[in-house]
This record gives sequence, structure tokens and C-alpha cells, in this order.
Amino acid sequence: MMRVIHGITYLAYIGWAIVTGSLTIVTRLFRPGQYAHPMIVEVPLRCVTDLEVTLFASSITITPGTLVAAIAAGTSTQPPVFFVHALFEDSEEAALEGLYDMESRLLAMTRGRAPSSPAAPLAEVEQEEERP
Amino acid sequence: MSDAVATTLVGVFGITGSLLMLFSALAMFRVRDALSRINVFSPATGLGMPLIVAAVYVYDIHTEGFSWSSLLMAAVAVLCLIIVSSVASNTLSRASVLSGQPVFRKTAPNRLARPPEGVVDEDPDSLESSA
Repeated sequence: MMRVIHGITYLAYIGWAIVTGSLTIVTRLFRPGQYAHPMIVEVPLRCVTDLEVTLFASSITITPGTLVAAIAAGTSTQPPVFFVHALFEDSEEAALEGLYDMESRLLAMTRGRAPSSPAAPLAEVEQEEERP
Repeated sequence: MSDAVATTLVGVFGITGSLLMLFSALAMFRVRDALSRINVFSPATGLGMPLIVAAVYVYDIHTEGFSWSSLLMAAVAVLCLIIVSSVASNTLSRASVLSGQPVFRKTAPNRLARPPEGVVDEDPDSLESSA
């Protein structure tokens, strides 16, 4: 029963994300200056099953402004990892926060309750590479 | 449903959907690489085309009257559009990354730019790699 409620709220959440993301893409068109700040962030997942990973990847991609560019399969020691291309986020932290929020809602739908463990922190935050 | 309401709804849904397609196409000219172009096109497939389906459905109700079969068709069409466009975008982006398309140089941070710690990434095309 809780799953149905979580599922409905998740669908509403995705619908709202699609609408706001589309508005962002359209309104940015009429603003001068740089259109987007593209970035590719690394997202270690809490999703485990194929269904959860597939649903999460599709949800990210259908949301305008974020796109799954690559998926690394999980091993026995490491969770699966998404590489997400994000266009309109201010910083890597903001992008990850939004994605983990979506993941928590999705896991609440597939498992019946939100996961208790917080979002996994990035294993090691590499120093910002300087470009040649 | 009165004529005025039906005409307004069809107009609002149809024109908004079409404008979203147009603006998504324009947005593709404002970004610089293949990944971003796949990315900014999702308003068209995720919102624009479902809105056009909604316009057609309202028109159908107005002219033919309500029927469960057309409601089913509209619902299946919207669901399929969203699912198919999402999977298609995933496939396109994977193809673009795996085929080595250049990524816009101002993409920062780019977590795909380097191999993970402890992995030696040899370029198979490079001549000295085996030395």
C-alpha cells in the first residue's frame, strides 16, 4: 500500500521535474550570456537491482537538463556508478544533491520505504584537475 | 464540452507543445557538443509531444464524444513517448561517449576524463603503448 502512495508521489515528482526543467531550458534561451554550464558528475548508486538502476537511469534522462552518459556495473566491493551529464547545475554538490533526492524517492517506491543510510559520499574527491 | 473550452484547450496544448519543439531545436544551437544537444532535446520528447497528444485527445473528445478506447490510446501513447524517448536518449548518449565524440572543453568537472585510480589506461592507437 505504501508503495502505491510512494509510486504516485514519484510520478508527480518526475512530472514536475520535467515541467520545471523544460522551463529552465526555454527561459535560458532568452537570457544573454553563457547558455549552460555542462558538467559530468560521478554518482555512486544505492540502487541494487536491475529494475532500480534502469528506472533511475530513465528518470534522470527524461528530466530535461540531466542525462546519463555512462553506466559502470557494480562489483562485489563497489556500487554501480552513473556518469551524469548535467547542464544547469551550479556546482557538483548541487547536482549530486538533486540526484540523490530523486534516488531516495525512487527507492521509497520500489522498497516501500526510503533507505535509512544516507547517500554514499564520493569515495575520494579528486583534486580539481588543471587543464593544459 | 462547449466549443470555446474545447478550442482553447486544443490551442493551448497544441501550441505549447509545438513551441517546446521549436525552442528545444533552438537550444540545440546554443550548446556545443553532442552530449549537450541530446540533453537539451528532452523537453521536446518529454513534454512537447505528450502535450500534442493531449491536444489531439481533447479534439477527439469534442468531435467524437468520450470513449474508453481513445482514452486508452492516448494514455499508452503518452507513456510510450516518455519511456521510448528516455531509453533512446540513454542509447544515444552512450553511443556518443563510447564512439569518442569530443566533449565541450568547458565541461567541468568531467569525471569521465580520467581512468579511475590504479587503472592504467593505454591508448590502443598509440605506437609507444606496448613499449
